[in-house]
Amino acid sequence: MADIANYVALSALVFFIGVAGVVLRRNPLIVLMSIELMLNAANLALVAFSRAWVNNAGHIFVFLVITVAAAEAAIGLAIVVAAFRKARFVDVDEVASLRG
Amino acid sequence: MTPPSAQSVTLLLLLWLLPLLGAIVLWTFGPQLRRSGSIVASALVLVSFALTLVLFVGGTSPDNPLQVPLVSWTRGFNLGLELDPLSLLWTLIITGVGGLIHVYAIGYMWSDKAIARFFAYMNFFVFAMLTLVLSDNVVGLLVGWGLVGLASYFLIGFWFYKPSAVAAARKAFVINVVGDVGMMFAVFALFSATGSIAFGDIFAKAHDFSPSLLFTICLALFIAAAAKSAQVPLHTWLPDAMEGPTPVSALIHAATMVTAGVYLIARFAPLWNLSPQSQELAGIVGALTMVLGALLGIGQWDIKRILAYSTMSQIGYMVMGVGVGAYQAGVLHFFTHAFFKAQLFLGAGIIIHALHDEQDVRKMGGLRIRMPFAYWAMLLGTLAICGFPFFSGFYSKDAVVYGALEHGHPWLYLAGVLTAGVTAYYMFRMIFLVFFGPYRGEVTEVELGMPVSEHAAHAEEHVAHAPAWLMQVPVAILMLPTVAAGYLFIGGSTSPWARYFGTQFGTSENVASLPLPIPELASTWIVMAVVAAGIVIAYLRYGAQGAQTSAIDRIRAEGIAMPQALRHAFWFDDVINALFVRPAQALGLAISRFVDPHVIDAGVRDVAWLAGLFGALARGLQNGLVRAYALTLVVGAACFIVYYALIGAPR
Repeated sequence: MADIANYVALSALVFFIGVAGVVLRRNPLIVLMSIELMLNAANLALVAFSRAWVNNAGHIFVFLVITVAAAEAAIGLAIVVAAFRKARFVDVDEVASLRG
Repeated sequence: MTPPSAQSVTLLLLLWLLPLLGAIVLWTFGPQLRRSGSIVASALVLVSFALTLVLFVGGTSPDNPLQVPLVSWTRGFNLGLELDPLSLLWTLIITGVGGLIHVYAIGYMWSDKAIARFFAYMNFFVFAMLTLVLSDNVVGLLVGWGLVGLASYFLIGFWFYKPSAVAAARKAFVINVVGDVGMMFAVFALFSATGSIAFGDIFAKAHDFSPSLLFTICLALFIAAAAKSAQVPLHTWLPDAMEGPTPVSALIHAATMVTAGVYLIARFAPLWNLSPQSQELAGIVGALTMVLGALLGIGQWDIKRILAYSTMSQIGYMVMGVGVGAYQAGVLHFFTHAFFKAQLFLGAGIIIHALHDEQDVRKMGGLRIRMPFAYWAMLLGTLAICGFPFFSGFYSKDAVVYGALEHGHPWLYLAGVLTAGVTAYYMFRMIFLVFFGPYRGEVTEVELGMPVSEHAAHAEEHVAHAPAWLMQVPVAILMLPTVAAGYLFIGGSTSPWARYFGTQFGTSENVASLPLPIPELASTWIVMAVVAAGIVIAYLRYGAQGAQTSAIDRIRAEGIAMPQALRHAFWFDDVINALFVRPAQALGLAISRFVDPHVIDAGVRDVAWLAGLFGALARGLQNGLVRAYALTLVVGAACFIVYYALIGAPR
């Protein structure tokens, strides 16, 4: 059995790829995909810990996260499509009408 | 004590509430009612008078007053009405003389656009004054006390487009509030001392009061009485109050409201009887007011101000009378004064009306021929106020000054006698200036022969004239009591007057047992001689043939040579201004110059500026960039991780 540290390291790597994608990229679709990456990195860590400590709570929690991620993806895409139809934007920085 | 019959209870409630009804109706429907409203208002007061007469015929006595409980609040706090001889007398004057003045005012105010508002105030005043005199407790008395002050304020400032009227109204109100504070203080002291507000309970326990408590309460009551009744040094509002319409001067500032202080002292007679120092004080202040008022009356050129100072002087007589303990005499002088002073004011009103609001006696003269009715009205009133034999004032003034002697105050007696002479002088000065000699005015002689004209501010309504008899009938009716009201006192202690009051006022503890220096008849002769001297001097200076021919030059010279003290009304206004008004104004100015802009406004401004500063800072965070928000999240999460990595997870 592989050392848990490997799983956690992979999870951290994927998570930071996601963070970088959200913070650095300006295409809304890429941003959404990066959020999915972060969620799945968290899932990977949960599954790894769950298996290491023989506790099924982590597995169950992963299913919950997958469900929420599906819903989030649906709503996020809907918002992106609606906002695109209205403003024809390709850059998240252009959607700044809530600036104080 | 027999329980009151249901009928008399209904009568009392009706006569009390009818003027209030009138005030409410006129306030609500005034613009629609206009002149018909004035008739409604007058009719209601006259109905009140009729009901009062019914109660008067039914009879009342100090031992068995008509009591009507109204509201029972908590223990010792029962409000109600009480009709005893004292309050019945005042009610008769308020509704009777008040009703006549209402009728007169229909004619006087006929062409004023705000006639309905005027009568609403008048009815409101009658209601307030009835509340004052009919209450069976100190709280109702205090309420009425405040409401008459308010009604007086409304009516002095009735022509609110005149700045002088507004200033006079404000002055009257402020000085009256000084009295209200005294009154309130007395009410608190009485309630805390006896646990009750009813007159009966208070008087029953008065014997247990310590002398200092009695003196304090009487002093507080006297401050109230002095402010309301224009006693020195709180008198300065009364001459200014003449800015109001003349019927108001007649009703409020001569016949009824200004005598409320006399009523107050007479009502609290059981307390005053126990406190000789307070009686001394009231007697002296009354006498001082009497003398000063008469002296100031000499130097006036405005016919209404002459009458105002004479009112002040006569109230001084009344306060001196009730103050020294001669209650029946003091109240009798109130009774006769209400008639002859209303008569004088209403007569003056007829002249002022005819001369287009001219009030300066220097611009009158010779009106005896053209206005015989006003002449006779004023002459009868003047004879009565001077104490000319067999006129009403003769009896009441005699009774007051002799009462002062009887109660052991020879100096007050002397002052009263001399003031009677001064009164005769300045009143006949007015008569000679107004009715004799050449006419000195600007209104053309042709106009004087024409019907009574309008108030100048409403000249556009010159078509509408009230019939002259509306103003003449009330004056004619007043002539009867002006002459005859004093006859009630013939017979001294067995007179109808004395029998009517019976044991109302109790007995004073300081009735002098020392032998009187002069008998009553001799005193009467002395007063008559002094009065005659006053009239003769007035005749020589203003009425005689020589004085008449050079009248215009002489009056001009007299206007210049007038003593400074008289011209400045003994500097009372200046002293009060320097002591109270200017410091108050300076304080107000200081607050408006410094505290308001630099403390209050600046404080508000700084708090608002601080909120704006926080807002500006918070705005910077709200930049609308989704990626910036995400970065904030990441940095925050990273901070948590670093923190827990350094110090370890919480145990």
